[in-house]
Amino acid sequence: MSALIDDRQKELMGMGVARLRKEDARFIQGKGNYVDDMKLPGMVHMDIVRASVAHARIKRINKEAALKVPGVIAVLTADDLKPLKLHWMPTLAGDVQAVLADEKVHFQMQEVAVVIAEDRYSAADGVEAVEVEYDELPAVVNPFDALKADAPVLREDLAGKTEGAHGKRYHPNHIFTWEAGDKAAADAAFASAAVTVKQEMFYPRVHPCPLETCGCVASFDPVRGELTTWMTSQAPHVVRTVVSMLSGIPESKVRIISPDIGGGFGNKVPIYPGYVCAIVASIVLGRPVKWVEDRIENLSSTGFARDYHMTGELAATADGKILALRTQVYADHGAFDACADPTKFPAGMFHICSGSYDIGAAHCRVDGVYTNKAPGGVAYRCSFRVTEAVYLIERMVDVLAQKLNMDKAEIRAKNFIRREQFPYKSAFGFEYDSGDYHTALKKVLDAVDYKALRAEQAAKRADPKCPTLMGIGVVTFTEVVGAGPSKICDILGVGMFDSCEIRVHPTGSAIARMGTITQGQGHETTYAQIIATEIGIPSEVIQVEEGDTSTAPYGLGTYGSRSIPVAGAAIAMASRKIHAKAKKIAAHLLEVSEADLDWEIDRFKLRGRDDKFKTMKDIAWAAYHAPPEGMEPGLEAVYYYDPPNFTFPFGAYLCVVDIDKGTGETHVRRFYALDDCGTRINPMIIEGQIHGGLTEGYAVAMGQLLSFDAQGNIQGNTLMDYFLPTSAETPKWETDFTVTPSPHHPIGAKGVAESPHVGSIPTFTSAVVDAFAHLGVTHMNMPHTAFRVWKQLKQLGIAG
Amino acid sequence: MTKQIVNMTVNGRKIQELVEPRTLLVHFLREQLNLTGTHIGCETSHCGACTVDIDGQSVKSCTHLTVQCEGSDVRTVEGLATAGVLHAIQDGFYKEHGLQCGFCTPGMLMRAYRFLQEHPNPNEAEVRAGMSGNLCRCTGYQNIVKAVLHAARALNQAKTAPGVAA
Amino acid sequence: MEFKLVKQYKVAASVDAAWQLLTNVPEVAGCMPGAQISEQLDATHYKGNVRVKVGPAVAAFAGDIEVLALDPATRTLRMLGKGADKGGSSASMDLTAIVAAADDGGSTLNGQANVIINGKFAQFGGRMMVSVSDVLLGQFAATFSDKARALEDARPSAGSAPASTGHAEPASTTVTPSDAPPLPAPAPRAAAAAPAARELNLLSLVWAILRGWIMGLFGRKA
Repeated sequence: MSALIDDRQKELMGMGVARLRKEDARFIQGKGNYVDDMKLPGMVHMDIVRASVAHARIKRINKEAALKVPGVIAVLTADDLKPLKLHWMPTLAGDVQAVLADEKVHFQMQEVAVVIAEDRYSAADGVEAVEVEYDELPAVVNPFDALKADAPVLREDLAGKTEGAHGKRYHPNHIFTWEAGDKAAADAAFASAAVTVKQEMFYPRVHPCPLETCGCVASFDPVRGELTTWMTSQAPHVVRTVVSMLSGIPESKVRIISPDIGGGFGNKVPIYPGYVCAIVASIVLGRPVKWVEDRIENLSSTGFARDYHMTGELAATADGKILALRTQVYADHGAFDACADPTKFPAGMFHICSGSYDIGAAHCRVDGVYTNKAPGGVAYRCSFRVTEAVYLIERMVDVLAQKLNMDKAEIRAKNFIRREQFPYKSAFGFEYDSGDYHTALKKVLDAVDYKALRAEQAAKRADPKCPTLMGIGVVTFTEVVGAGPSKICDILGVGMFDSCEIRVHPTGSAIARMGTITQGQGHETTYAQIIATEIGIPSEVIQVEEGDTSTAPYGLGTYGSRSIPVAGAAIAMASRKIHAKAKKIAAHLLEVSEADLDWEIDRFKLRGRDDKFKTMKDIAWAAYHAPPEGMEPGLEAVYYYDPPNFTFPFGAYLCVVDIDKGTGETHVRRFYALDDCGTRINPMIIEGQIHGGLTEGYAVAMGQLLSFDAQGNIQGNTLMDYFLPTSAETPKWETDFTVTPSPHHPIGAKGVAESPHVGSIPTFTSAVVDAFAHLGVTHMNMPHTAFRVWKQLKQLGIAG
Repeated sequence: MTKQIVNMTVNGRKIQELVEPRTLLVHFLREQLNLTGTHIGCETSHCGACTVDIDGQSVKSCTHLTVQCEGSDVRTVEGLATAGVLHAIQDGFYKEHGLQCGFCTPGMLMRAYRFLQEHPNPNEAEVRAGMSGNLCRCTGYQNIVKAVLHAARALNQAKTAPGVAA
Repeated sequence: MEFKLVKQYKVAASVDAAWQLLTNVPEVAGCMPGAQISEQLDATHYKGNVRVKVGPAVAAFAGDIEVLALDPATRTLRMLGKGADKGGSSASMDLTAIVAAADDGGSTLNGQANVIINGKFAQFGGRMMVSVSDVLLGQFAATFSDKARALEDARPSAGSAPASTGHAEPASTTVTPSDAPPLPAPAPRAAAAAPAARELNLLSLVWAILRGWIMGLFGRKA
């Protein structure tokens, strides 16, 4: 009998199985369906004229020459959008953003006009021919200059508005002040603490740079009055609601379709001016309009990440027990606050910054500021500012360890929230669902032989002839993901639940649709695996569909590692509704009571009788063929899941680096990543996600930077300069795991895709700084390019 | 701009088309021949998503003019499988989970195809160097390397067992 | 993008001829390849333009020049130039130029400029700014020197001939890489100054920089 069970498990390929992906067939044959692959009859192309300077009044826009270019159909500016009241649009953060620059430009590469032409080459010719005259204004490129008393005023459209979407504004360039924790308690702890440390650190502006840029094909059907738009969107239902609100077209006549998406990483959450202009153009022309940005446009104008100027402080006992945490952040949001955070959290989940540690008192304050740069801030695998929060606390723990001359792993273990303290209420009010940090850290330290590494480091430090500096970085992070309980998490008022609808067919296969949208995470496979285990149908015949707002139930999309925590729960709950109905049908078919039935892999069995059973396949047929008297025919269910809490995946990472004393080049000798995401649905897919997140983390820590000169010119906005690691320099990753299920999640899963990015970045910094720690260095700002590390070596007299 | 006639072979099929001299090969393939498997990821020839195979060489089609292909033998990802049977490199990517969003995949496949023709027995370091002209944001390359090595083994086995699709 | 230039060039003419040229703003503007004054608005305000070509792409900067000071006692010109092109770049320059007598009977042109560049050139050309400026100003100085020399020769009582022209590269017109001479050649001593190029060809400029760098590797001054 056990052989049969094994066969049935194998056929099912449900949860826990490292099964190959169902979606791969089209991608390996070049048959994916991305936005730029779309071609519709009569389709025209749109390209954008962009601001050449960062801060200026627009004196004049001359369209004449552009309109004469062969193939050009129309040129639109803010004046053309004004009658439709669409020259400005609301952002997801309660601010407004110019769709096309209205009398003033606020950042270099801002959208100023759009050209629509028969083909993409004519559109580009048209863009070159549009003439714009500017009256330049002084630019501000950092929040400190922006908050000076005599700073130029950026947002003249907000003149006189002292109340923003998140409270009082203290300066024309100030957006919000957000606080969490207990300032009085924290200050009291600091006042009496034996040891305090303080560190300033900058998390520079970077960009997620997915390989596919943003774009859309907008198609308005004037006969039916229906708008269909294929869009690179991580949240198609939210887009549908916003587009309906902006355009006045009823939501039932708006269809947003996110087809295959070539990577999102948060870059494809915001609603960009390009989308709005394409939609307007399609409505005006009555033809499909395609807009796809190029890489320079993507890096210069779409959702960037970070740009957080942070100061952290820890108060502790003399033997390293942390008593309190304080932090102040100046957040550079660019010219418009277009952050895609849940409404009540303008600084996202930054208040997870007490980390994996049992800290009694804590306070954080974040001030958002306008500058002459592209709008945004929340993107890049960050779980709403969790990257910044984890970076802060992990750097501060290292700084404290160095001050007390304590081992960096030992100080962490000393301060961990203990397993028996879960569920744990942090000083910032989060209720951590589950965790076992000590086990995770110990597993990593044992795996790498930490003692031997420290001994090796000591020996190398004692040897003046050693050509490298050896550093060991240790990070033990806790993330907060799975936004979120609708009473505290909403996007523009819509609660952050998510959904699943499953329909089982008469012959035993099924189709399922969710409110999330994959961008490479493997939902077509993992979601099918959940359903397979819950209702006993092989994952191979469960068709998963996402992204079409006309067919998928309403959901808030995929970002912030929320798919498994929220949609995954909805999938389990919808499956259980089907499971419950199926049990009734089985009982009816077997003529027994439900209480006498047991579930085994793919069938209901009469207890103690292997020969009396009904498979889900049999039950599906019965549901359509002969349902019990009084029961609705069919076998399907919908579930909208409002999570009771966030989930808290965690991990322990260790990195060993060897830095060349002459050149500053950092060689990553070893990177050991242990992740705990609770229940593991597909180990192969999890491992792939970890590799990807670690590599993006490596890029951020070691080389990525979007910088601006004093006039606001953006530097490094092409792949000539923006560091995307290749296969040649990307380190080899070692992955490991523990399993601490989430007690409140129907299948105990927590989400994992952002952990490697969140956790690896401070690990690289920790390792690089650790290489210099014995020389008194407590912090070095990212990116740790060879040049920057070399400057540190030179400053210390090590490099010539 | 006056168009001119260009003749080439694409995935084994002879074609003759009218193009503007300035039309990039990647746009010609995607928009005129409707072979949308080849992708565009940048405009500075760094990312490699546009990689195709021309006259036995890996070429980034985003910086190659269509008119330069006069008389050439061009192969794209759509031409890798034969009569519905996947090429070993495609099978390798599938078996080793060498793709996630799929956007870099056609370029990776075309580059790996040529790389293995030139280096039938590479070690890991050689694969990493040979594939370094193709960027990926999702996989971190580790499984792509495994996929290429998987395909190398399969191709070498096929050589000793004629009749198996390679 | 902001940067400062401090340059000194030899002029193959007396300090008086050099100063006479310096006070003639349209003529001075005409020494910059691709530049010209189009209109004089009043005693101190001018309109001008610069045409820059990079391969097939042309940018036309239209700009304003204001003369802030012209002091014969110290032979100092102070001017402010601002320009923008309709495609997406802008530049401004705050320039102080002084001519002084040199020991050999010739003179020197001393220039100090604060330059701010915005737009595409600042985004993508940042790295090249200083080397491009070096070559541009070198061409400017060569033309200035020739024009000053011509002014001197045209005077009834011309001074003694200067020792040398003091620079290596001839003022360039449109030059393609294949036309460029393999070694630096002495500048022609023209009776009438060679007219400055109608258009600044950036590719040839970049070629000039590259050549200079390569020759620098071999220890030869470009």
